[in-house]
Amino acid sequence: MTSFQSTIGDEEGIAEELAEGQREISIAEFFEKNKHMLGFDSGARGLVTAVKEAVDNALDATEEAGVLPDIYIEIEEVGDYYRLVIEDNGPGITKEQLPKVFGKLLYGSRFHAREQSRGQQGIGISAAVLYSQLTSGQPAKITSRPKGQSRAQYFELIIDTDTNEPEIKADEETTWDRPHGTRIELEMEANMRARQQLHDYVKHTAVVNPHARLELREPGLDEPMKFERATDELPAETEEIRPHPHGVELGALIKMLEATESYSVSGFLQGEFTRVGKKTADNVIDNFRDVYYGRELAWSPPRAHDERDVAGAVADAVANKGEEATTAFSEGVAETVASSDRLSRSELAAIVDNVADTVADDTGKTFGETVRANAVNAAWRAITGAGDGEETDGETSDDENGRATESPLVADAYALVDDATSTRKDDAAVRAMAEALARRFGNLDGDAFRITSDDLERLVADAASFVAEQHDATFGETARENVVEAFWSRARTVPDDPPKVAAIAGSRDAAADLLEAMRTTDILAPPTDCLAPITAELVEAGLRKEYDADFYAAATRDAEVHGGDPFIVEAGIAYGGEIPAEGSVELLRFANRVPLVYQRGACATTDVIKNIGWRNYGLDQPGGSGLPNGPAVISIHVASTNVPFTSESKDALANVPAIEDEIELAVREAARELKSYLNKRRSMQQRREKQDVLGKILPEMADKVSEVTGRPRPDIDGALARIMNNVSVEREVNGETVSLVVENHSDVNEQVEITDIVSAEPTDLSEGTVVDMDGEWFVQWKPEVPSGDERELTYAVDGDPEFEVSVGGVETEKLTVNA
Amino acid sequence: MTTESDARDELIDLAADFYDQFAAGDIPEMTLPTRTKSNIEYDEESGVWTYGDRTSTRSANSVRGARKLLKAAYTIEFLANQLDDDRSSTLRELYYLSESWNNDEAQFNSQDESNDLVEDLEIVTGVTREDFHMRPEESGAKVMGPLLLREQTNRGEREIHCQLDVGQGGYQIPNNPDTIEFLDNDAEFVLCVETGGMRDRLVENGFDEEHDALVVHLGGQPARATRRLTKRFRDELDLPVVVFTDGDPWSYRIYGSVAYGSIKSAHLSKYLATPEARFIGIQPEDIVEYDLPSDPLSDSDVNALESELEDPRFQTDYWEEQIELQLDIGKKSEQQSLASRGLDFVTDTYLPERLNDMGVL
Repeated sequence: MTSFQSTIGDEEGIAEELAEGQREISIAEFFEKNKHMLGFDSGARGLVTAVKEAVDNALDATEEAGVLPDIYIEIEEVGDYYRLVIEDNGPGITKEQLPKVFGKLLYGSRFHAREQSRGQQGIGISAAVLYSQLTSGQPAKITSRPKGQSRAQYFELIIDTDTNEPEIKADEETTWDRPHGTRIELEMEANMRARQQLHDYVKHTAVVNPHARLELREPGLDEPMKFERATDELPAETEEIRPHPHGVELGALIKMLEATESYSVSGFLQGEFTRVGKKTADNVIDNFRDVYYGRELAWSPPRAHDERDVAGAVADAVANKGEEATTAFSEGVAETVASSDRLSRSELAAIVDNVADTVADDTGKTFGETVRANAVNAAWRAITGAGDGEETDGETSDDENGRATESPLVADAYALVDDATSTRKDDAAVRAMAEALARRFGNLDGDAFRITSDDLERLVADAASFVAEQHDATFGETARENVVEAFWSRARTVPDDPPKVAAIAGSRDAAADLLEAMRTTDILAPPTDCLAPITAELVEAGLRKEYDADFYAAATRDAEVHGGDPFIVEAGIAYGGEIPAEGSVELLRFANRVPLVYQRGACATTDVIKNIGWRNYGLDQPGGSGLPNGPAVISIHVASTNVPFTSESKDALANVPAIEDEIELAVREAARELKSYLNKRRSMQQRREKQDVLGKILPEMADKVSEVTGRPRPDIDGALARIMNNVSVEREVNGETVSLVVENHSDVNEQVEITDIVSAEPTDLSEGTVVDMDGEWFVQWKPEVPSGDERELTYAVDGDPEFEVSVGGVETEKLTVNA
Repeated sequence: MTTESDARDELIDLAADFYDQFAAGDIPEMTLPTRTKSNIEYDEESGVWTYGDRTSTRSANSVRGARKLLKAAYTIEFLANQLDDDRSSTLRELYYLSESWNNDEAQFNSQDESNDLVEDLEIVTGVTREDFHMRPEESGAKVMGPLLLREQTNRGEREIHCQLDVGQGGYQIPNNPDTIEFLDNDAEFVLCVETGGMRDRLVENGFDEEHDALVVHLGGQPARATRRLTKRFRDELDLPVVVFTDGDPWSYRIYGSVAYGSIKSAHLSKYLATPEARFIGIQPEDIVEYDLPSDPLSDSDVNALESELEDPRFQTDYWEEQIELQLDIGKKSEQQSLASRGLDFVTDTYLPERLNDMGVL
């Protein structure tokens, strides 16, 4: 955006001149000029977008109220304009809120909530109102009847584009036949060129909201398009969640810091974020300390026979405490120091405090703040040499080997550098590096050797380039990283209290440090009860409802997290039946149950589908990539608290790798079912073809051999069943005894369900059960017949009854019934 | 062999087998010896090569198998009727005749298919196709030599002397040489000749008169009738048989089918093969010895020679030696290459020398 800045100096009057032209741009005015960002770039598209925004709102409102949505959409030609009416059976909107919801941009209940919902920014419906107002000059006409109220409220409102405030033109009570709900009527300049997209949108909404009833009337339709519900189950209610520490950005964090009532960082973290308890907060704060304060480098204390005399130094630093207490104190400190592996100055201070308290308890001598501070300084000097001859340190003196008393840090640094670098490094180079590092550590502010990770990296790099220059020994990137890691991992987090929330909120750098600390801390993924997936079952039901196919499959993945926002991907596939076989498959894209109609090519879902090798799953894919061909519909639903779109008009999913991976897995899961269905169908097809051909050939052959041999035509059903690896059911009636024989010629065990309807009462059943149904007897028998085996059912029946057998549990292609 | 009514009964029996299989709820099938090179065995007793123990099954279990069996059923009916009517037909006529069957599935797609099916039926029923009254399109070849025979023709009996009563072309062998009766002969041996050109040369030079030879023209791969007649010369007239072909691997196979029987008709080896027949030439050895004009062996010649080395019929010391020699010199020669020494060289020098070597003359 243009930035207006007055120039300082001589050119008087220019600022004033410019200031005259400057005024606040209302948000409504801004959108008036940027309609395309919201999907109102053309009359055709504007109509679809207005329907979409109104229907999304209606669905959100009804679901939130726990009502099964019943939504009515009507488009009428009114002179040069189109009138759009959307009615829902939602909870209605209160009189106070109503003008704002529809008449004020960026007003909504959703923007601040981390919860899956269709609308998010509170822009959509008011943008539609604005669009209608701008193109037709007509106010939006809104009727709302909250539940339980006897009358409805009718408004006419327009948006004042200067102030972004609604202006009520009419406000009166009215009657309405719906017991509760909202109706919005908009008139706008539009055309129906995007009729197909409109139909797609409504149809796809019905697919992905199987619990909703939708009705669409528009001038081009002879009959209204009606979509009935496939389920009475509302989507699971979603819980609002607090933001996840991995999902906030700096600006948002500062805002939260400013707004919170917490005083401490720990309280802030625990109170404002999801998945943060005491322990996680502590981890974040430790990381924050490291980033904000840096760590204190820790050094090896003197060992026995070392000339560094901690006890002596401490004793010298203590005055007037008596010999006994002084000795106990100095030796106590020296002993504890010697027993630790490495030590930072803060740790030393803690030791001194401890020993001072113990000695005070034992001897009655108190060691005051000053004494303790002196003791710490003295001991620290003894251990690290810090504070010694500071004037000789620094890059000015290069006679490193010539110095009489070498800093004790050098030996320590040498050991670490030697350890961290490859064994091929020249000893002199390692020593030079150690000395260069030690000298630079000595130059750090204060004598606690406090340094942040970034500064440590810089320091090591500086030392390395110094060594490279002076000693012609290179420390490459890996070596430097190893050295940094060696020091950093041995450095100690400082015990200082983190700054208070108010202080962090006031400092952008501190807030950035906190954000970094939050991002580097391992934190549990956000909870997923803020999401309402459709569930695989209902994805399938939705497809089943709108597509007359032969096969349906669906898959719902487990929740995953992207940038602190949880998301769930679902995929469904419908195949065959009435779905047109020509051209590429139909791809349905949904985000938070909203169909995405435009910009298919720019969408991450399309990219994923194109990159799957569909030939593996039995679909035709010219060239082995791209959209597959064939009679299939693939639907993909991404539910998230924050769906990443490529633009504000929410037409296409952005290419986020974590989401793309899940989309691929979900689609492949459903596609695997498709594959096994297609394989099975193919083998059944082959079986049918074989059966057809053999069913023709074998009787002819039988006829021919009976002709040649002069014998009657043989019964070939047994042979046929055997050839087809079939299950055959054969009836023999022998006087009063009826027997049904099931032979299984297939290579798997078969669970056969046989119902024999007999017109006389059967008795003496060998197996199964018999039920009398109004003078007909149903003999039911469910034998399990192993491969290559047979089972027999016999019963007795009087007279000459009629039989009617039906066989289930076996595919018809595999069945030969002769009974 | 079989009589005509036997042949008919055998066919009906086969149909009855199918019938019984149907009636028993079994899948109709017929089992045949596997007709490949790896499944022929030397029969010690008769000295010919016949099928071994491995079998293949034509079963109605598959669409392919079912079609074959359906065609078999139709063909059985046709052959049985043909025998009833005492008619005969050629293999090619059978192929075209199937077009008239009122069943698309039963019609033959190619003549190979109908030829194979007739061979299948021969094997399963043990009846030769001559007894089914099926004959090949090409008739048998010709004989020239001092032999008097009586042939049973459709037009009555004929007595023919194969030198005196025939023209330059010789006596035409009928499709079923079992209709011939030998009456008298002065023959010393039988000489089977591969090419027509060489046969004409021998006849023109009077080789049959000079050496009392029965010159049999093979005409490439010999027809069954030619092989059958050759076998009868050997068995009934007790004449030695020698085979004179080109000196290349394909011609050795001609000798092989005369002497050992062919793979496709190994079921008839005992009826067709003349295991006593010997190879006179052109031997690879002769190419070297007589310095005959030659062509280099092509790749397919080499492959054929190598495949003959693995053919059980050629696994004798003599053939291994000859074939390896030929692979070694990489040359082949035709019978006519002997003309490079003059037109009379073959009758005056080559054949007498070879026949002497072999102890025939």
